[in-house]
Amino acid sequence: MLLAYVSVSVLLALVVYLAAGRSDVSHREAVRGGWEQLRPLLTRLPVALLAASFIAALIPERWMIALMGDASGFVGILLASLLGAILPGGPIVSFPLAMALFSAGVGAPQLVALLTAWAVLALHRVMTFEIPMIGWGFAWRRLVASLVLAPVAGLLAHWVLLVLHVG
Amino acid sequence: MTALFLVIAAVSGVLLWVRHGGSEVLFATRDAGLLLLAVLPIVVMAVLMGAYVQKLIPPAVARRWVGAGSGLRGLALATVAGALTPGGPFAAFPLVVGLYHAGASLAVCVAYVTAWGVLGVQRVLVWEIAFFGMEFVLLRLLVSLPLPFLAGLLTRLLFDERGRA
Repeated sequence: MLLAYVSVSVLLALVVYLAAGRSDVSHREAVRGGWEQLRPLLTRLPVALLAASFIAALIPERWMIALMGDASGFVGILLASLLGAILPGGPIVSFPLAMALFSAGVGAPQLVALLTAWAVLALHRVMTFEIPMIGWGFAWRRLVASLVLAPVAGLLAHWVLLVLHVG
Repeated sequence: MTALFLVIAAVSGVLLWVRHGGSEVLFATRDAGLLLLAVLPIVVMAVLMGAYVQKLIPPAVARRWVGAGSGLRGLALATVAGALTPGGPFAAFPLVVGLYHAGASLAVCVAYVTAWGVLGVQRVLVWEIAFFGMEFVLLRLLVSLPLPFLAGLLTRLLFDERGRA
């Protein structure tokens, strides 16, 4: 968590410094833009965290460990990929839930698969944005080409962890 | 959106109360409060940072990168551009529409969307580090690096040259 604070602070300082050197970028506009994006989050984030916390307390841990724990292997990776594909909403809804699953015992490779499926398949996003904006012809071809990505990411993560632990 | 979350929170809260009692609801509420306190400052700083990046890198620059070529070089540029595109689907998809209609190959567009999804720097900074910690995020990013290429190459393999419907 400390590392997160440090890295984000350093990056913020860097972009502010870069903006200060450019006459076409005004601090006032950047801060206003940031505030516009932040405002809806201030009510949404607490409620989403509360909902995720309640749901996490309702999910029996031993189910999670059995289905998608470290020992669940490739089947767990496939299950996690399926769950990720249907997980609705942006990061504000999905991440607290995924974090709850992580602390309930879902393995790291399985979580990688879940987040990857959520990022590339995100069926709700396909319905609400991709098909209306780009079209069905693009969307279905992209989805077909992306089906294997989440299991591949999960397997790669499994393999990386294996190498790290052996080495 | 917020109303939907409120309903979900209320339903799951009542369910938790019925099944595990009031003290569990209090514990869960306290956990959520502590998490909010830990995460909120990062979110505020990162959103502000994202707003600065949007001012520093206009969409035209990203479009030029992706439009620059096809083949592996095009996929690589699409991957970098996708990773750097800040903002949600509101920001990324209009760019894809522009590229696709401007004649970029289907594979390049797919690589761009994939990179935006799995490598998107802004989402990593705003959300992921705060929730999952640096170690997990580095693991996920490492294994995600080949994914935009894989998706692009699969697209080229499965569908015809330009993949137009």
